[in-house]
Amino acid sequence: MRTGAAIVLDTLESLGVETVFGYPGGAIMPLYDALYDHRIAHVLVRHEAAAVFAASGFARSTGRPGVCIATSGPGATNLITGIVDAMMDNVPLVALTGQVRTTVMGTDAFQEVDVAAVTHQVTKRNVVVRSIEEIEPALRAAFRLATSDRPGPVLVDLPTDVLRAVESERAVLTATVVREHPRAGVPELEAAVTAVRRAQRPVLIVGGGARWSGATEVFRSLAARVGAPVAATLHGLGCADPGDPAFLGMLGMHGWKRANLAVAKADVIFALGMRFDDRVTGDPAKFAPNAHTIVHADIDRAEFNKVVHARVTLHGDLRETLVALDHRLARVPLPDFSSWCEEACAPQEVLPRDDARHDHLSATDFLDALFAALPADAIVATDVGQHQMWAAQRVRASHPQHFLTSGGLGSMGFGVPAAIGAQIAHPGRTVVAIVGDGGFQMSMAELATLRRHELPVKIVLLDNRNLGMVRQWQELFYNARYSSTALPDNPEFTIIARAYGVEARLVDNLNAVEAAIARMLASPGPMLLHCACYPHENVWPIIPSGKGVDDLMERAVPA
Amino acid sequence: MRTVTANDGRILARIIHLAHRFGCTYTSVAAENLGAQYRMEFAFAGPCDALRRLDAQITKLLDDDRETMA
Repeated sequence: MRTGAAIVLDTLESLGVETVFGYPGGAIMPLYDALYDHRIAHVLVRHEAAAVFAASGFARSTGRPGVCIATSGPGATNLITGIVDAMMDNVPLVALTGQVRTTVMGTDAFQEVDVAAVTHQVTKRNVVVRSIEEIEPALRAAFRLATSDRPGPVLVDLPTDVLRAVESERAVLTATVVREHPRAGVPELEAAVTAVRRAQRPVLIVGGGARWSGATEVFRSLAARVGAPVAATLHGLGCADPGDPAFLGMLGMHGWKRANLAVAKADVIFALGMRFDDRVTGDPAKFAPNAHTIVHADIDRAEFNKVVHARVTLHGDLRETLVALDHRLARVPLPDFSSWCEEACAPQEVLPRDDARHDHLSATDFLDALFAALPADAIVATDVGQHQMWAAQRVRASHPQHFLTSGGLGSMGFGVPAAIGAQIAHPGRTVVAIVGDGGFQMSMAELATLRRHELPVKIVLLDNRNLGMVRQWQELFYNARYSSTALPDNPEFTIIARAYGVEARLVDNLNAVEAAIARMLASPGPMLLHCACYPHENVWPIIPSGKGVDDLMERAVPA
Repeated sequence: MRTVTANDGRILARIIHLAHRFGCTYTSVAAENLGAQYRMEFAFAGPCDALRRLDAQITKLLDDDRETMA
């Protein structure tokens, strides 16, 4: 007879789970006892926040659900930022939390928190399992829901007495209810075809929906057939071929100027698997002002007309929608958009940069060299801030699962644990975490995780001794009143890394960058490359929050 | 007034939270436990656009609820 804990692990295994990320504690101890000699591998992190971000990195780099484990109370609450992060970025995630035993629930027992209530608004669903018979159906439902329709996080709360209970012979009846699979209708698809045929200046925008539906290949086929300029949201990077001359780059606040200008000039927008985030649209009233038609394809019908009015809505799985649309487009003559494409894509844009760096190493120079050196299948995880946007502007990801970043929530501390999850999923691949000095200090205890599990993650620490993005906004929008953004007292990061047994190097001038990157990539184990950068380099261009493309800034305006 | 049935009775709380997040408020709420399911009736007031978005989110929550219950 199995215990509840054994049923949890056996069910996870039957669902294809090979690795879980977690941190033990009192209420979840029965599960850890079962893990002791189970086939499922456990990655011990040093903070529960890292467990959920690592599971997210695993999911983002594979498309499969990531699983994280924490105990009740503070363990569970430490997962919450990562759960919200997964909700915002549509990451399939299953969080397992310990809970006090059912007989004391509601008595303010030690490490008791009603995590189901706390996470109710920020999960696709959560459930408190109250009997051993409920474990397997609850887990199967959790995995189904985490991956179905628009993916997201599901939390399963496991009281300790349920985990310790022993199963009876009683058969468990499980019912499977699978929702109706939405498919874009024929009239809507025909309307989308008509929109292409009547367009003069169309732009395709691809978003994160293409990642989760596996639509990269069909998107590229459709884009080639239409021959229109293509832009990507932050999470759409990698869906379009970065070598395609029609690819305009990232769209939005820190996107490429040509991408934002093309959308401003476009008469028809195809918004494919994107949700018109405010970092993409700026002021929605100023977004795509010349577009008479927006065609919006998405799996989530609640996204339609939420921010921007769409004339044509295609409700369904994006890959299936694009396959159907591509078939229809193949049967009709299409306009030649080559002159519009040439206008939108030329001249080749150079990202604006700050000139005066006073002989310091420039973070953007470093990233240019890094992306030139990375193998084509390298996986890059970023933290959040200036380095994230510099990386997003420059990355040449050939697949959306190659670029992992916290987009919707913008969670600092994401980068290193996400890279851990990606490296677990792809042990033979180059995995690089690009982080800033602020975010790294929220997660640097995970150096211990890298060492413990011999994960050869390369950490590129762009240290400008500032919370750079906030500092930039203070410079531009708060009269240069630098409130609590300077970090002149940063520690010696290389010493810290070495204390954890992780190789570390410092690079502080451009001449040494190429060799430093080569050495890092050749290193067989984990490594920290500490880049001491110019402290006041800003991210350009920027469309200030809530503004439009007319307000795009390419450098600081002197006061 | 919208009447729905759900497997998870907690959805009502989630809907009320969402309504307030969207700048709406409820004008009436009633719920009844039918055994395996809950029947809920609610009406909201607020800006038209917010009510439309709320309605779409409620539909999505109910879709998820129907799929997950085993």
